[in-house]
Amino acid sequence: MSAPVEPYIAFKDVHVQYPDHVTGLAGVSFEIQKGEFVFFVGKTGAGKSTIIRLLTREVRPTQGTVSINGKSLREYSERSVHLLRRTMGVVPQDFALLPRKRVWENVAYAMRAVGRSRREVRQLVPDILDRVSIAHRADAFPHQLSGGEQQRVAIARALINNPPLLIADEPTGNLDPGHSWEIIEILQGLNMRGTTVLVASHDMAVVERLKARVITIEAGLIASDIPSGVLNA
Amino acid sequence: MLDRIGFIVGEAFIAIRRNPSMAFAAITTAAIAMFLLGGLGYVYFRVTEYAATLPGKMEMQVFLRDGADFTMVKAVAAQIRAVPGVREVSWIPRAKRWEKEQRERPELTIGIENPFPEAFKVIVRQLADTDSVAERIRGMAEVDAGGVVYLQKEQRFIEESTRVLRWLGGTVGGLLMLTAGVLIYNGIRLTALSRRLEVRVMRLVGASRLTIDLPFLIEGILQGGIGGVFAAGLLFTCNLYLNRFLATFDALPQSPTFPIVLILGALAGVGAGYGLVCSWLAIRMPVKA
Repeated sequence: MSAPVEPYIAFKDVHVQYPDHVTGLAGVSFEIQKGEFVFFVGKTGAGKSTIIRLLTREVRPTQGTVSINGKSLREYSERSVHLLRRTMGVVPQDFALLPRKRVWENVAYAMRAVGRSRREVRQLVPDILDRVSIAHRADAFPHQLSGGEQQRVAIARALINNPPLLIADEPTGNLDPGHSWEIIEILQGLNMRGTTVLVASHDMAVVERLKARVITIEAGLIASDIPSGVLNA
Repeated sequence: MLDRIGFIVGEAFIAIRRNPSMAFAAITTAAIAMFLLGGLGYVYFRVTEYAATLPGKMEMQVFLRDGADFTMVKAVAAQIRAVPGVREVSWIPRAKRWEKEQRERPELTIGIENPFPEAFKVIVRQLADTDSVAERIRGMAEVDAGGVVYLQKEQRFIEESTRVLRWLGGTVGGLLMLTAGVLIYNGIRLTALSRRLEVRVMRLVGASRLTIDLPFLIEGILQGGIGGVFAAGLLFTCNLYLNRFLATFDALPQSPTFPIVLILGALAGVGAGYGLVCSWLAIRMPVKA
């Protein structure tokens, strides 16, 4: 009999209570294995973003534990939380691109911020931009890009630490269906190369098309957890 | 390492370039505050130094009642030594004093009995202690009424001058320093506001707290430090013109050399330290747009 595989990400009875008695999560438990592609779906305010913020340690659980790779996130202090964040790439909903910097500078800036030298930046940026098919717009400013292109830059920036985990918050929220699918394909490509991908979304068209695992959150609780390949199979 | 320092310092300069008017206001206010504090401090130092050169400035003479014997002299000397603020007590024997007087003024002393009482020379630790020490000694039964003599008026004048300087420097300079601190604080808060997207990106990708905070701290250090350098420059210029003016009066002694390096280092250091504290306070609280 083989030993049980330790989950890559584990939420155990996680509660999050925000100030003014606002409930973020009300007892959520799930496990995610390395290399999975998981969608978190649900209405606005259901708790999807809280799950992402728990993983990036922007929020701490009021009760329960969140662990990545067997290590509880409580073990990270304020001074060491950056080490956790270097093990994941985060793509925020609003892209968070620096408007006065060109595409390549946006990626370079993030690399410089985590201590990469100018030389490393020069060597690595073209490759990273190429991985998300945005190298041809390297000298453009964010306002000169389409929504899909801006999203690619945000993904490129999330890849600077070569993370084993990629978290995207509503990556297709502001995109038309064509561009949405292009972004999902990029994420799928990264997943196929071994990156665990977590996507918070309420774009059901994309979710249903990909047939990945789907965890539905409703009012801070897991309403359903459908394994990959099952949805609309 | 140099590459890393280059990035962090570059970030600090970008921040200053984005908020030039605020940075200018903070630097000039810090400069004026430190000019006043440094200038008055320098004058205070000079006055105190001058006071130290005045003869008998911290010295008083104490005369005992007639008929005091050696035992009483010893006892009173011990009592005076025990008074807080007294640095030194030396006995002036009446016989020796009389001998000296007879030597120096024989025509006035012939046929007269020694009229001098036993006396002490008392030196106090600080000018400010003189009155309280004199008061305590006057209260001793063995001391003659009116037997404590010192340059009370002169000492009071010097003490009053240094007190006014301290008060002026402390109040006006302190208020301006506080204003400069508020300006540096607000400047850093504004920088944090204008750089909130960069900070967010840094946090997202896992930049260390030091990498995020250092540019703000460097900005504060630069503002305070540059203010200090300007203050030293202003002081140097004022001192130069004052000396040129004073040189026109032949009777006045030549002023000592202005310690420019010391003052430049001290003011720049104090300014930088103050800027560091203000910027550290500014980044302790998160900035909300």
